Amino acid sequence: MVENRHISITVNGERKEADVEPRMLLVHFLREIAGSTGTHVGCDTTNCGACTVLLDGRAVKSCTILAVQADRRKITTIEGLSKEPGKMHPVQKSFVDNHGLQCGYCTSGMIISAYWLLKHKKNVSEQEIREAISGNLCRCTGYDNIIMSIKDAEKRMEEEGDTLEEEQAVTVRK
Amino acid sequence: MNPPRFEYYAPTGIEEIVGLLKKYGDDAKILAGGQSLLPLLKSRVVTIPCLISLSEVRGLSYIDERKDGVHVGAMTVDSDLEFSDIIKKHFPLILDCASQVADPLVRNTGTIGGNISHADPSNDFPSVMLAIGAKFVVQGESGTREISAEDFFVDTFETSMKHDEVLKEIILPYWGSNSYGAYGKFKKGTWNFSVAGVAVQLSMESGKINKAGIAITSMGPKAIKCTEAEKYLAGKKPDDSVLKHAAELIVGASQPSEDQYGSEKYKKEILRRLSIKTMGKAIKMDGGN
Amino acid sequence: MDLSEKFVKGNGTFVDDIHMPGMLYLGFVRSPYPRAKIKKISGGITHKDVNFDIAAVGEGSEEEQTFSSTAHPVLAKDFVGYVGQPVAAVYSTDPYEAEDLIDSVEVDYEPLPGISDPEKAIDFEPINPASKSNVIVDRYFGKEFPDNVGDVVIEGRFVNNRIATNPIEPRGIVTAYDGDKLTIWIGTQSIYSIKSGICEAMHLPAEKVRVIQTDTGGAFGLKGGLFPEYVVAAWLAMKEKRPVKWIETRREHLMASRPGRGAIAKLKLYADRSGKIKGLKGEVLVDNGAFTGGSGEFSPAFIAMQLAGAYHLENAYVRARSVLTNKAPQGPYRGAGRPEAMFFIEKMMDHLADKLKMDPVDLRLKNAAEERYRSPLGFEVEPSKKFLEAAIKETGYRELSKKYNTGFSFLILYHATSGGESARIQVKDGRLKVWIGGNAHGQRHDVFSKTLINEELGVDESLVDFQLGDTDQIPAGIGAWGSRSAMVAGSAVLMAARMLREKVEKKYGKYSLNHLLGEEWDAYHNFEYSKMESSLGVNVVTADVDDLGKVKIRDCISYYDAGRVLDPANAAGQIAGGSVQGISQALYEELAFDEDGQPLTSSISDAGVATADLLPKFTIKYYKSESTLPSKAKGIGEAPTIGVPIALSRALEKAMGREFNETPIRPELLLRETAVQ
Repeated sequence: MVENRHISITVNGERKEADVEPRMLLVHFLREIAGSTGTHVGCDTTNCGACTVLLDGRAVKSCTILAVQADRRKITTIEGLSKEPGKMHPVQKSFVDNHGLQCGYCTSGMIISAYWLLKHKKNVSEQEIREAISGNLCRCTGYDNIIMSIKDAEKRMEEEGDTLEEEQAVTVRK
Repeated sequence: MNPPRFEYYAPTGIEEIVGLLKKYGDDAKILAGGQSLLPLLKSRVVTIPCLISLSEVRGLSYIDERKDGVHVGAMTVDSDLEFSDIIKKHFPLILDCASQVADPLVRNTGTIGGNISHADPSNDFPSVMLAIGAKFVVQGESGTREISAEDFFVDTFETSMKHDEVLKEIILPYWGSNSYGAYGKFKKGTWNFSVAGVAVQLSMESGKINKAGIAITSMGPKAIKCTEAEKYLAGKKPDDSVLKHAAELIVGASQPSEDQYGSEKYKKEILRRLSIKTMGKAIKMDGGN
Repeated sequence: MDLSEKFVKGNGTFVDDIHMPGMLYLGFVRSPYPRAKIKKISGGITHKDVNFDIAAVGEGSEEEQTFSSTAHPVLAKDFVGYVGQPVAAVYSTDPYEAEDLIDSVEVDYEPLPGISDPEKAIDFEPINPASKSNVIVDRYFGKEFPDNVGDVVIEGRFVNNRIATNPIEPRGIVTAYDGDKLTIWIGTQSIYSIKSGICEAMHLPAEKVRVIQTDTGGAFGLKGGLFPEYVVAAWLAMKEKRPVKWIETRREHLMASRPGRGAIAKLKLYADRSGKIKGLKGEVLVDNGAFTGGSGEFSPAFIAMQLAGAYHLENAYVRARSVLTNKAPQGPYRGAGRPEAMFFIEKMMDHLADKLKMDPVDLRLKNAAEERYRSPLGFEVEPSKKFLEAAIKETGYRELSKKYNTGFSFLILYHATSGGESARIQVKDGRLKVWIGGNAHGQRHDVFSKTLINEELGVDESLVDFQLGDTDQIPAGIGAWGSRSAMVAGSAVLMAARMLREKVEKKYGKYSLNHLLGEEWDAYHNFEYSKMESSLGVNVVTADVDDLGKVKIRDCISYYDAGRVLDPANAAGQIAGGSVQGISQALYEELAFDEDGQPLTSSISDAGVATADLLPKFTIKYYKSESTLPSKAKGIGEAPTIGVPIALSRALEKAMGREFNETPIRPELLLRETAVQ
């Protein structure tokens, strides 16, 4: 009999503790235990990115990480992207204003990827945006409005002084 | 698609890991970033009774310049390599390769050690390691030993590591200040396995190739080092006809098989063209020429 | 809350987001064989428990024809016809455990040779013991004519291979039963198809079933109809009196949902030396899959009847067949017969132009219909010449084709307007609640509804709450598919708004916003419409191929007659999204099988869904017009999936100097013999 493990993951600033089976995927911990149902499962094979979240500041696919691997680490999901409750982060706002979504299913993952891109690169070109979201599939929009949203988000983040997080995002952890 | 049950260990010391590997034998497998292993488990094509995670072992994620080369910890994720100034300075080949692995999100989780130990002939780093002539530090019961990249890759999903050994570190010997490299990868779509990949590492001296390291991906049961092409290129001035001939030698070393991506003939032709392109890209970096 | 705002905050409620205490999770034991006899099943829920069949519902079901002997059993009885066919079901209170239990059911199969190639299946032994032949539909359209009607003949075999619909949200359902009424929560294009399908399959009276739409993460034709898994979920909820959830895995989607396309045509096009087309003859064959209940029963006729394209065609004679193969049943995928038909006729137009050494656009101009007429194949063709002339000018085709490898496609899109649609507006507490019959899955019907209500009643858009479908709130309706919603659902909303206006006028002598918002009103309008409408479109694509065979698309231009564009941002999004599906059909997408019918495609990426880094930017232009419907709109949702594959394929024919008559184009065929270094 496989023993459950006690884990504690900080999700959007709140500690979530539970006894889980080692095989539980992080995405299911987030959806079922932390209640963050904005993180979705799309393809099951690490292709579509609907399950994208930030793990210690970096965008990752939560369907291909075990919850136990994220023990004592920090997760940000779409619900926790905005620092002020009820308000939208500039990336979220620009997706609304530029019609950067249709059915809404890939949207959370797409926004997290966009956020991570804008947190570690400056003056992103259209091709850089296209490559940055190449791990996120959208079947509805044809990507045009998503790219427009991300360009707009960069401008808005700059205006709001939402700066690069070099240290968190791109330094090698020793 | 969820994984079947398994036992899970995440010890903090590498000695403990070796002990667990010994205890569980073939029932155990090391979990690094999980980007290859977890999809296999989720599809339930394999069952692994016991997973031993490296995630709690400290000090396995680093990129250091040392005397004998750049040392990279096995748990260093692909994006760390992609953004590393040390890698950029010494091994543009690795940077080029890292930025083409899967997609940016997977690169935040996938590790170089996992990519290498999994020994999938479609993984990109094995051929890069062969081209550079990397050495792998593995730890077992009786301490550590070094295995050269050439001796490491045995067959599909098979390496010369013993069952109770763990890959701990990768040593990338310096190629000198006039060294360049590029990785060519051809795939149908972002997320498909490559049809062909080629790793090119060169050191140049007054417009001539001093030494070449070349290896190929997705071109047989394992990553293949193209020794004939390497020998041929050494000492040559790389003009069009030299590159063309070298590409023939690279294709000569390949053993592709027909699959959904195309016929053998097609794959060889892609490899030939990709090789010429990639060698050209590496040579172009030699600004002094 | 604004729909977009809800989604960007992660606050949507998709079917998998629904949790209820005591919920049971379903898992399915599926056939590993393309074709086999079932000798014994040990364990699980089997056909002995759930002995129902799936009848055809949803798009294309208007035609009256029954295929009871080839109907899809909910759970397999004595044989299986495709890999992935549901054979038995298991359940648990934990979804992981439900998946573990799948292995606990033992099925004793006797494998039989299967057949995946539809052309070979015609003469293969019947794969369904109840059929005499694998050919389940064999019909002729038009009239035989002599071969000497023209001076030149173009002949070809054209193929659109199968494609998985692949919405990013897979299928899923939640069911609950209170001892009297069954309630279903589902991501769907039509709560009515689901309701009538369940009632029909399980012999339940309509008043005992309620279907509620959840947020729906894309559908593209997939989520229009009933599936076997839904019936099992309903049955289990009723048996156990506990809520039940089933969520499809992507692997199940690729094996066992209903993929689209899968059509082959062998056709001859006759013309005189000046390029005037004189006749069309040949056959269309649809790869139906192993059972009916999808769209394979209807699509051969639907394809054949459109084969005149937007042209004037005097003579035509086409045989249309559908054949059983050892694959999942074919179903509608964005366009559903329209892309196939236009691909076939437009390919021949391009090749005829090559043979006559004409510019393909001049050949099209010569044959565009000058007046409305009924084609010998059945459908009415609207006058198309004026539109074509405008399209050539507005897309800049003449200039582009001088400089680049340019493809041009001319399409007629037949909207599924017949059947009309319903809408309900309820006024209470100073706010409006709106329901429409067709259920959106990314087309934001809320926006056009609010626009039309605002125009008719002067109600501020912030006072309108758009509701998801619920059969208890709006009892009758059709569904969202076939480029119909802006036309018929838009008209239904407008008519319901007019009803409200009339009610207020009747009570107070004249309409005022205060009277409307000051008390409670309710208006339900069933907008009846029996005609199939159409509109025209053109796509122009310029592209090149590099020396590794990688396609670089320079321009992808759409010029469509959208009537009144009710929601410009969404229309542009629909066209860009549809264009990507068109590009990926031409270059990447395919569900591949071995000869027996064993699937070779195992992930969404293998199936070819395109990523952003492979794609161009899109140029979108409209032809100015208005439809005769109250909403004045014309649907465009399917136009790009029709026009883009043709135009791209043609641009690549120019680039490579060879014909491409199949989608997707094999990468090997895009490798030039002599590489430019």
